[in-house]
Amino acid sequence: MNPKEEKVKIITEEFDENDEDTGVGSQKKTSKMARQERKKRLPAAGPEEMVSENPHLGNQPEPLQEDSDTRPLSMTTRRGPRSLPPIPSASRTGFAEFSMRERMREKLQAARSKAESTLLQEIPTPRPRRFQSPGEKELETEFGAEPGEEAQKTEQEDDSQSRSRVKFRDSVRKIKTKPPVPPGFPSAEEAYNFFTFNFDPEPEESEEKPKAKNRDGTTQEEEEGEEEEPPVQGIHKTDEQLLISATEAEAFLWGLDHAAADFVAVRPADYESAHVRLQMEKELLFVPSRLTVPTYKKLPENVQPRYLEDEGLYIGTRPDVPRTCQNIMENRLLTQEPGRRWFGDDGRIVALPNPIKPFPSRPPVLTQEQDFRAELETLYKKAVKYVHRSQHMIGSGDSPGNFQLDIDISGLIFTHHPCFSREHVLAAKLAQLYDQYLARHQRNKAKFLTDKLQALRNAVQTGLNPEKTHKSLDTTQKTINEYKSEIRQTRKLRDAEQEKDRMLLKTIIKVWKEMKSLREFQRFTNTPLKLVLRKEKVDQKADEEAYEAEIQAEISELLEEHMEEHEQKMEAYRAAYQQWKAWKKAQRAKKKKKKQAVEEHPEEEMGEPYPEEDPVKPVPPEPTDRTLMEHQVRERAARSRRRPGEPLLVPELSLAGSVTPNEQCPRVEVLRREDVKRRSIYLKVIFNDKEVSRTDSRPLGADFRVHFGQIFNLQIFNWPESLTLQVYETVGHSGTTLLAEVFLPIPETTIVTGRAPIEEVEFSSNQHVTLDHEGVGSGMPFSFEADGSNQLILMTSGKVSNSVAWAIGENGIPLIPPLSQQNIGFRSALKRADAISSIGTSGLTDLKKLAKWAAESKLDPNDPNNAPLMQLISVATSGESYVPDFFRLEQLQQEFNFVSDEELNRSKRFRLLCLRSQEVPEFRNYKQIPAYDREIMEKVFQDYEKRLRDRNVIETKDHIDPHRAMVAKYLQQVRESVINRFLIAKHHFLLSDLIVEEEVPNISILGLSLFKLAEQKRPLRPRRKGRKKVTAQNLSDGDIKVLVNIIRAYDIPVRKATASKFQQPSRSSRTFSEKHAASPTTHSPTHSADYPLGQVLVRPFVEVSFQRTICHTTTAEGPNPSWNEELELPFRAPNGDYSTSSLQSVKDDVFINIFDEVLYDVLEDDRERGSGIHTRIERHWLGCVKIPFSTIYFQAKIDGTFKIDIPPVLLGYSKERSMIIERGFDSVRSLSEGSYITLFITMEPQLVPGESVREKFDSQEDEKLLQATEKFQAECALKFPHRQCLTTVTDISGKTVFITRYLKPLNPPQELLEACPNNPQATAELVARYVSLIPFLPDTVSFAGICDLWSTSDQFLDLLAGDEEEHAVLLCNYFLSLGKKAWLVMGSAIPEGPTAYVLTREQSHYLIWNPCSGHFYGQFDTFCPLKSVGCLIGPDNIWFNIQRHDSPLRINFDVTKPKLWKSFFSRSLLYPGLSSVQPEELIYQRTDKAAAAELQDRIEKILKEKIMDWRPRHLTRWNRYCTSALRHFLPLLERSRGEDVEDDHRGELLKQLGDYRFSGFPLHMPYSELKPLIEAVYSTGVHNIDVPNVEFALAVYIHPYPKNVLSVWIYVASLIRNR
Amino acid sequence: MAAAGPSVFLLMVNGQVESAQFPEYDDLYCKYCFVYGQDWAPTAGLEEGISQITSKSRDVRQALVWNFPIDVTFKSTNPYGWPQIVLSVYGPDVFGNDVVRGYGAVHLPFSPGRHKRTIPMFVPESTSKLQKFTSWFMGRRPEYTDPKVVAQGGGREGENAEAERLKAAQLMLPFSSQ
Repeated sequence: MNPKEEKVKIITEEFDENDEDTGVGSQKKTSKMARQERKKRLPAAGPEEMVSENPHLGNQPEPLQEDSDTRPLSMTTRRGPRSLPPIPSASRTGFAEFSMRERMREKLQAARSKAESTLLQEIPTPRPRRFQSPGEKELETEFGAEPGEEAQKTEQEDDSQSRSRVKFRDSVRKIKTKPPVPPGFPSAEEAYNFFTFNFDPEPEESEEKPKAKNRDGTTQEEEEGEEEEPPVQGIHKTDEQLLISATEAEAFLWGLDHAAADFVAVRPADYESAHVRLQMEKELLFVPSRLTVPTYKKLPENVQPRYLEDEGLYIGTRPDVPRTCQNIMENRLLTQEPGRRWFGDDGRIVALPNPIKPFPSRPPVLTQEQDFRAELETLYKKAVKYVHRSQHMIGSGDSPGNFQLDIDISGLIFTHHPCFSREHVLAAKLAQLYDQYLARHQRNKAKFLTDKLQALRNAVQTGLNPEKTHKSLDTTQKTINEYKSEIRQTRKLRDAEQEKDRMLLKTIIKVWKEMKSLREFQRFTNTPLKLVLRKEKVDQKADEEAYEAEIQAEISELLEEHMEEHEQKMEAYRAAYQQWKAWKKAQRAKKKKKKQAVEEHPEEEMGEPYPEEDPVKPVPPEPTDRTLMEHQVRERAARSRRRPGEPLLVPELSLAGSVTPNEQCPRVEVLRREDVKRRSIYLKVIFNDKEVSRTDSRPLGADFRVHFGQIFNLQIFNWPESLTLQVYETVGHSGTTLLAEVFLPIPETTIVTGRAPIEEVEFSSNQHVTLDHEGVGSGMPFSFEADGSNQLILMTSGKVSNSVAWAIGENGIPLIPPLSQQNIGFRSALKRADAISSIGTSGLTDLKKLAKWAAESKLDPNDPNNAPLMQLISVATSGESYVPDFFRLEQLQQEFNFVSDEELNRSKRFRLLCLRSQEVPEFRNYKQIPAYDREIMEKVFQDYEKRLRDRNVIETKDHIDPHRAMVAKYLQQVRESVINRFLIAKHHFLLSDLIVEEEVPNISILGLSLFKLAEQKRPLRPRRKGRKKVTAQNLSDGDIKVLVNIIRAYDIPVRKATASKFQQPSRSSRTFSEKHAASPTTHSPTHSADYPLGQVLVRPFVEVSFQRTICHTTTAEGPNPSWNEELELPFRAPNGDYSTSSLQSVKDDVFINIFDEVLYDVLEDDRERGSGIHTRIERHWLGCVKIPFSTIYFQAKIDGTFKIDIPPVLLGYSKERSMIIERGFDSVRSLSEGSYITLFITMEPQLVPGESVREKFDSQEDEKLLQATEKFQAECALKFPHRQCLTTVTDISGKTVFITRYLKPLNPPQELLEACPNNPQATAELVARYVSLIPFLPDTVSFAGICDLWSTSDQFLDLLAGDEEEHAVLLCNYFLSLGKKAWLVMGSAIPEGPTAYVLTREQSHYLIWNPCSGHFYGQFDTFCPLKSVGCLIGPDNIWFNIQRHDSPLRINFDVTKPKLWKSFFSRSLLYPGLSSVQPEELIYQRTDKAAAAELQDRIEKILKEKIMDWRPRHLTRWNRYCTSALRHFLPLLERSRGEDVEDDHRGELLKQLGDYRFSGFPLHMPYSELKPLIEAVYSTGVHNIDVPNVEFALAVYIHPYPKNVLSVWIYVASLIRNR
Repeated sequence: MAAAGPSVFLLMVNGQVESAQFPEYDDLYCKYCFVYGQDWAPTAGLEEGISQITSKSRDVRQALVWNFPIDVTFKSTNPYGWPQIVLSVYGPDVFGNDVVRGYGAVHLPFSPGRHKRTIPMFVPESTSKLQKFTSWFMGRRPEYTDPKVVAQGGGREGENAEAERLKAAQLMLPFSSQ
């Protein structure tokens, strides 16, 4: 509390008092005194006392007073001079107290009487104010209690004093001057006030005092003492007074309102006592207690808390939460949610293990303000010593001190060595036996057992003596039995021991004898060994007696034993006999029942002798024979025991013997000894598989002992895993050999230097050594016998005596790694238990050991840290040691699968998503895959599933002809596989795909661009700029348009007047002449008759249809019309997918149809002619040009004059070339027949055609050849970048193949060759026609987005579909086989663009063949569609055109001129003789005629249906008569290949259908599918005639060629009956 | 269901491209567009926009403030392909050519509420120093064929972009789904 604040408060209080004093007079003072007095006294006196025991009060004040006085006093001593002097004397206080007490009493009485009266009216509510913070209390002293006091005062004074008044006064008084203090001796009251209430007349003093008080009162005790009073007072007084005062105060307040208002309008702040507020808050708020909740509250009734940890279950570390927080939470949970689900079995809140890792898993986030560089700065740290295999390391928490292992290697003894002589072998054996003997002797087990036996016997004796033991017989009997059994066992053991002792002794003697004989035999001694048998005399008699007694005792015991046994057996026998008897009886009873009861007695007698089968009658055991037993015992004793009287033999082995010196030995022995001398031995100490030190090399002694006596102090850092000594032997100066390895145990941690015993560790080696001297060698059989029997094989072996111990440091602390202590005190250091350190690495492989360790160390099986170990152990201990030998990448995948795989597969949505992401064609651009399974229709998958199903099933419905169906399927499969191949490649982007960047400028471009800067912005003669290309990614429907500019046409057929039958002869003559003269010199008079009449010959217009959108031009007039119109057709990509690959696969064609518009006057009545015109417009199809969309797409623009595909027979029309013969131009044109149209087609905007795949394909070509091709192509491209140069192509399996391999003479079908055997030209034409009948299918359509694929000719014929290349290759091959000189021409043509043609060389000139149409052109034919020639390809070379021009008109085809043609294979690179990829021979099957006929019928039917479909509003009538006439005519057309038959046919038709106006034409095309046929028929627009009485005729003819090549003729016609 | 179409959820975005920090440039404008997956379709609002040209503020911040509003609603059946807003900032270079000053993209926030995103902007670098010079000289800096490229994952090999300055775009996104 701020002392200053306090002070001020107190001062105001004083003022208050003063004011009262002055204002009210002395009476008030006394009251005040009383009040003060009460203040002081109350804390000490109990509240009850206060009220009831007023008389006692007299005694009380004194200590109180003292209390109040002494307190400041005690402080003053500390405070020093500043504090007040201890003024008040005892007398004064006594006096003051006395008077005050009296007054007090009076007052109290008066107050009580008054209060009681008021209490009767009002029931006071006691207010518990005890538990309040000091601050609040203080507040109350000012506001709560003070008014109470005031009220008290008012009561006494009958003055109107109120709370507000007081407050008001407080403020007023402050301004007022203080009243003067009366001088002189202070009254008692004043004095008291002075000391107790800090009342001071002088302001300085008054200030000082409270200050002092406060200073020491910082302890607040004083203040509390004071300030606690009011509430206390309140409690007691309020019983009578406080509440009254409150009400009164209220009343006064009202009464005084005016007075107060007169001064200042000051109102008290609305005050709600803290107590009331607390009360209210208590209702609204819930404050959970901080106290611990007893466990029983948290658990269901009658449930004991269960501690899982105690039960051995793993519960992780709980997160660290302060206890109080937990308590609060628990209390809250208990109150709010009575259900106990928040609490676990142990009564604590359920909590997951602490998720906080001890280390941060994320690097600190870089704040933006920070400089990145600062974070990236290199930090230099001190190099850390490399610690290898950290898991074996001593824990990091341990002191990293060095530890020391002392290895003391004292020596080495060989128990066998190759250099051992026979004697040595025996000596070693003897020594070994003697050692054994000594050891046995030392233990003297036989003696011990004998003594034990004796003791037991005595015990039995005493136990049997009934006088001595008065205990219950049962127990003695029991113990005796136990003893007896013990005696039996002990005796057996003793016998065995004695026998062993005896055997050992015998063996020792035997070996010694052998050795002696050997020494004698070889006449020298090698070993100083000498066995002395010391005989100890025994007292014969006593010995004999003892022996006999022993035997007797044994016999008696045995007898007893046997008796017992006999007894038992007898017991068993009796029982068995009883059983048997009972059974017998039962048997008899049975028999009795069967027989008669009369024969009871005889049967009973008879019963016994009956031999029973089932239970054998028991035989009583025989009693033991004593003599036999005695015999047995004696025999055994003789065998194992010293006979009585025989002297006790004690062998003593000494080295006292002398070794024969070398000179007395035979040569072999000398050699052996020398060999031994040459040998020396040393040891290597290997610690943790590393050599740490080695002993000195010591020579091998003659006794085969090596003494080292070296101590190695290993300063170690790692926990020792293994300690090995390697024994090396050096022979002379030659190399050392590793004899053996000795594995030393790591010492226990208790073993320290000085306490370690010397241990002998045996070793042995399995090496085979044969020596050429007396040494027996090692691993070699040898014998002591002369005859070589009884062979022995001994291995080198020996013992190393050593001791290993932990060293002791300077201060006596063993230098042991602390980790090792875990071995001992495992529990304590459980946390740091490490399997490896405790059981060593070898333990890890030994699973049992590991399991044992795990069990011992009490590993928590539920701790996730131990999971792998536990699993390993469980696998190991369960017997099946199945350790998965595979590695799994996502071993937790299974756990994270939220549904099973089947369920996932069943999900339609998931499937749809998968298929889409796999880019399955059906779903590639599927948009808005529904969010729920139920919204996905089954039919979504139907197409896809059908396709999958049909992959191998060949279906003929769509394709009519089974072979085509098969081909289509195959094509589909190839396509799929190829697409999959390139799917990844398609996702590859180049930098240029993403980023538009100016190319690296070379100096010319730079100069040009610099020049450009100076260029005019708007030149007067603007140059044409290329259109901007648009990448086909952000396009949508309607963005792309196909623009067709139709400029003009030439030589449109003209109408002929409705000819009569009579004119027929003349016409035929005309046509004849026309055909053969190739130049129309004559024309029929009818024409000339027509023309002058001014009748328009033809009124052609052009209709362009694309994707079923149709536009047409205006109608022009004449056979050479000029339209110059631009038509705009919208383009829609399939599925709205405008990606490159999708655009490439658009198969639609642009049909440009030329029609003749014919006006018919339909006016019935001539009289109306003056007033109205009634004309019917008919349009007659004249021909068409078909341009595939893919061509437009790849070419970007198509510009040129095209030959109109005019049907061979166009009824009602004829060519009118004679009419315009006068023009010079015509003479050239007339060379080629047909009509032409000039077109310009492009797309708006221009699309970037998809580029062919950039991937390099693998190839089987020679690497050199491939390099050469690249070089060749680069050179060509440098010179003529726009000329096509092809050296390698991709075959259908995606491999790069050198192009010439495709060219090879191949036989055309025999049928064609036989057709006109004498006319090679005709044969060639026929072959070309055959090739052209194979349907055309661009590669880009079949293999979207992929480069050209070249199929071989047999593949092509099997597929029956191919590009220009395939056609050209096949045609070229046929020509080659026909003996022509033929080449493949790579160039560009219209409308195809880059394409392949075939060039043949006739006698004097060259012919250019279009393989797709079958037409041929002379080199100088202006209408040849081939516009440029890039290169020529022959079967053995490639020639690139390096002439200035590339138009076939202007170049020379003589490839032998190297200036004109650059050849690939030349003198520098010779033709290596590449084998062809083509088959040896083509095999042609004859096409099934019946199938063709069937197909023909089906096509006809389908087409008829289609035509009817297209005329939904009209009746379609079929003229059968005409149809059959047409059907007859079609084969003729085929035979003549569409030429020259027009007029014959026409005449015939006219003959038959005289009164019909006939308009129709045959269509001819290769057969591939039905759809193109339908499209072709549709595009002619025959069905569009809506004359009411129109009739139709349709005939189909299919001519089969070998290999299923079909030529289809469709004749469509409309007939209108003439009136 | 078939008639009503698949059930979709809607993502309504409104916000604004607030300001940018391009310490070296002035008089910039920005374009925004959205890149979203196949299952998404815009239903209302503008999918693309181009802002006014703004000048640097004269205070210490030197911020280029556009406060250019964005208001678009998408519908979708699948969170896959969550829309990304792609911003590209253009401005004149010393010769007055309009060149690109930065590309950046960020996913629309996934949670409803007010979000503020700061998008680092970058421009592709020229392949060589010489090209850098010529592109500077000719005013034809390397650009993406389509700004949407920056929001697409694949095929960025060999691209060599210079991380440019930061740009703040604030988007407020009330989000609803049905």
